[in-house]
Amino acid sequence: MSRHPAPDELLLDYATGALPEGPALVLALQCALDPATRRTVGQLRDIGGALLEQEDGPAFEESALEQVLAKLDGVAVDSPPVSVPAAAPRGFEWAPAPLVPYLGTAPRWRKVLGGFERMPIRLAHDTHRVELLRLEPGHGLPVHHHVGEEYTIVLQGGFTDSTGNYGVGDFATGPGSQDHEPIADPGSACIALIVLEKPIVLTGPWGRWFNPLVKRGWL
Amino acid sequence: MTPDEAADLIQAIATRQDRASFAELFRHFGPRVKAFLMRGGSDPETAQEVAQEALILVWRKAASFDRTRASAATWIYTIARNKRIDLLRRAGRPPIEVEDWLTIFAPEEEGADKSILAGQTYARVKELMEGLSADQLAVIRKAFFEDKTHTAIAEEMNLPLGTVKSRIRLALGRLRERLEEEDR
Repeated sequence: MSRHPAPDELLLDYATGALPEGPALVLALQCALDPATRRTVGQLRDIGGALLEQEDGPAFEESALEQVLAKLDGVAVDSPPVSVPAAAPRGFEWAPAPLVPYLGTAPRWRKVLGGFERMPIRLAHDTHRVELLRLEPGHGLPVHHHVGEEYTIVLQGGFTDSTGNYGVGDFATGPGSQDHEPIADPGSACIALIVLEKPIVLTGPWGRWFNPLVKRGWL
Repeated sequence: MTPDEAADLIQAIATRQDRASFAELFRHFGPRVKAFLMRGGSDPETAQEVAQEALILVWRKAASFDRTRASAATWIYTIARNKRIDLLRRAGRPPIEVEDWLTIFAPEEEGADKSILAGQTYARVKELMEGLSADQLAVIRKAFFEDKTHTAIAEEMNLPLGTVKSRIRLALGRLRERLEEEDR
């Protein structure tokens, strides 16, 4: 079991299908990596099933059934799905299945600083900023803090910051407005997926100069 | 209809395209899906349409139903929920079906106790929900009926975010505790 499961309210949002794509991807990755999280989400979906079963709407007209049965004439029962997850690109074998469709065919890391690389992940719906970070052991991110919510899932290696130690399958939220400085643990490089709410648009006289930089992810 | 009976009907569709079994499922779940959607704010016509479409999907996908992984009600709930999301085409929803993300890895899970069938977990969840407080239940029901995030629920119910979070955590903590107790 992950030592750092996602908080219950996010698991609930995920189970009901209410979560936007970026955070939903983080939760899907934790489900892929952590059986306990998967079990909890399964139990939450059972709540959905139980609520459905408890309903007792008035019976349908028999004509509704006849209509649907007539439609079924042309509808075959699909053969059982063969769930073979798409293979991850070379060098990305650590990527759990839910991430693979987002990697494209030839993903490439971009070097930011010595020992620190990143790769933007494009969502189908542009509600969050998502990127993969790769830190060599002992390297850290520059000290920073966040304006919006931040969700992190560790996919390889691990990191440590003032709030604790995080390994594969662990979920972390940023410590809010506090500065934090995560350092990659010894061993293999730390790879994590980070999802950020779109940065708040800066206001005030300097805003129009800084906002383009924020949008591009430079600030 | 017990979870086992419902699962048998779905299997009859999968193995021999049994229309009588489908009719029985339709009569049971059709009105339930409709009522469920109407609680979430759908008008009766849309709810009826989504319910019918969802039951057609139950027919088509019958072969992918696995009674060891989900109860029939839970499975049909997930199908109806996805159908509603599809229809509303709400921006920002995951493009890959969440249920697929959940099941891809399941077969590899080692040491999974197959003796506890999904239907039994479901029956226990159903029973345990009766032990939740009215406040907790109100938040949980809203989450499922209207598929809104806890943040949206807090705004709508005019409650502090912390209050909504703690109700969810208490409710889930209780369910989890009881399920684990019974597993021992």
